Amino acid sequence: MDGRRFADMMMTVLSWAAALLLTGMVVAIIGFVVVRGYSVLSLDFLIEPPRDSMTRGGIMTPLVGTLQLVGVAMFFAIPVGVATGLYFAEYARDDMFTSILRLAIRSLAGVPSVVFGLFGLSLFVILLGFGPSLLAAALTLACLTLPLMVTASEQAFLAVPKDYRDASYALGASKWQTIRKVVLPAAAPTVITGIILSVGRVAGETAPIMFTGAAFFAPHIARSLFSEVMALPYHIYVLATAGTFIEETRPIQYGTVLVLLLLVLGICSGGIYMRSRLRRLMRR
Amino acid sequence: MEKILVSSRGVNLYYDSARVLKDITFDVMEKQVTALIGPSGCGKSSFLRCINRMNDFIPSARVEGEILVGGSNIYAGGVDVIALRRNVGMVFQKPNPFPMSIYDNVAYGPRLHGVKQKDRLDETVKQSLVGAALWDEVKDKLKTPGTGLSGGQQQRLCIARAIATEPEILLMDEPTSALDPMATARIEELVRELKKRYTVVIVTHNMQQAARISDRTAFFLMGDLVEYDATPKMFTSPEDKRTEDYITGRFG
Repeated sequence: MDGRRFADMMMTVLSWAAALLLTGMVVAIIGFVVVRGYSVLSLDFLIEPPRDSMTRGGIMTPLVGTLQLVGVAMFFAIPVGVATGLYFAEYARDDMFTSILRLAIRSLAGVPSVVFGLFGLSLFVILLGFGPSLLAAALTLACLTLPLMVTASEQAFLAVPKDYRDASYALGASKWQTIRKVVLPAAAPTVITGIILSVGRVAGETAPIMFTGAAFFAPHIARSLFSEVMALPYHIYVLATAGTFIEETRPIQYGTVLVLLLLVLGICSGGIYMRSRLRRLMRR
Repeated sequence: MEKILVSSRGVNLYYDSARVLKDITFDVMEKQVTALIGPSGCGKSSFLRCINRMNDFIPSARVEGEILVGGSNIYAGGVDVIALRRNVGMVFQKPNPFPMSIYDNVAYGPRLHGVKQKDRLDETVKQSLVGAALWDEVKDKLKTPGTGLSGGQQQRLCIARAIATEPEILLMDEPTSALDPMATARIEELVRELKKRYTVVIVTHNMQQAARISDRTAFFLMGDLVEYDATPKMFTSPEDKRTEDYITGRFG
């Protein structure tokens, strides 16, 4: 066997091994969580609040809290993110100012989430005086997800064929009429996919909410934007490291991990499925 | 009696410092088909896009000279470009129906310009589709996507969409270059029909097409208007040697 063929074979084996290792790890993580957590999973687990220092009961409060956080975060992030994406795709001129803005947003995407947490603490909790609350935590999550949202919607708008715009302008449409009647509807499916993927990301974040509004324990679900909330990721952190009866809460902890994992995986694979379907539709 | 509808007066077009059109001066007659021919990059499509000011969207483009449509200069200050484009419809090289229903495609222009009453829209949509020789094929599926039609039908849909705003002038930028011969023949037939009501300016790569459907032909070469005359004369006894070389297929 000559050297080239040998190198070829080695690389094939290596890349297979790498792919196999990665797949194995994912399967191991999910398998581990399923094995440890599935025994506590039941409808009651989802609809009962934690009881007896969290050693019994379910996860209704953190589950609802996570949904509330995601909902409020998206309420702020979607309009701002989509509008900024629209600005970059349709209005921004190709100059220095735009490059700097773009660079800023790209860099924001690389900022560690705990830094967003500290930023949220100083801006929303302290400076604006919201206190640790649903509102402050959701706004922090909204900031975290903005770069993703902006980039995703910008790409979606840029992907709308120029042919559509030409046809619209040639019929005497103004720029805003063209955007509203042609560009937005054509880009909507892709924008929505981007939003779904951001939701998946936001639902699983811990660091941005732990200083800004996630509660160690709350007796009931938040009824106001200014109450603290329990949230699944932080609940897991509490059960695993900071509870009073760590051994007793272990099964509940894994059950919670399983629910969070299913929630995030479900949302993300929904988004990915939608994206691939849309890509197929577009190609037709 | 022939009447001038579009009049180009010393038009120069620049992209940055590159001069793409040089002193183009000629008149387009009302309710005739005027063909613009010439090799790729000769400026014929660029000129077409000057007539409805679609070049406005290219930041580096600059127009000098005048184009008169119905007697008034469309490059004068304060011209209502939206009204101009409503009066000067355009059909593009690649069929480009919007990703919406056949009905909504045709109703797009009238709705932009404020028509809301359903019965008026219905009537306009029907008349436009009849005018584009598409009505019989689509009348039972107006609510289905325009993108589901065949290429030739899509192009006729685009023609229906363009005439729905009741323009005087229809600009066509190589409208059959993406179509098969059968679909091309139908569009050519339609163009002959359209000139009864509209003034058509058509860019084409295909000299037989220009000969078949146009009344007058303008030959562009490297930004110059080399020759402009009645089509039969252009194709039988052109004045300029370059025109003759081009139409006999010696280059381009």
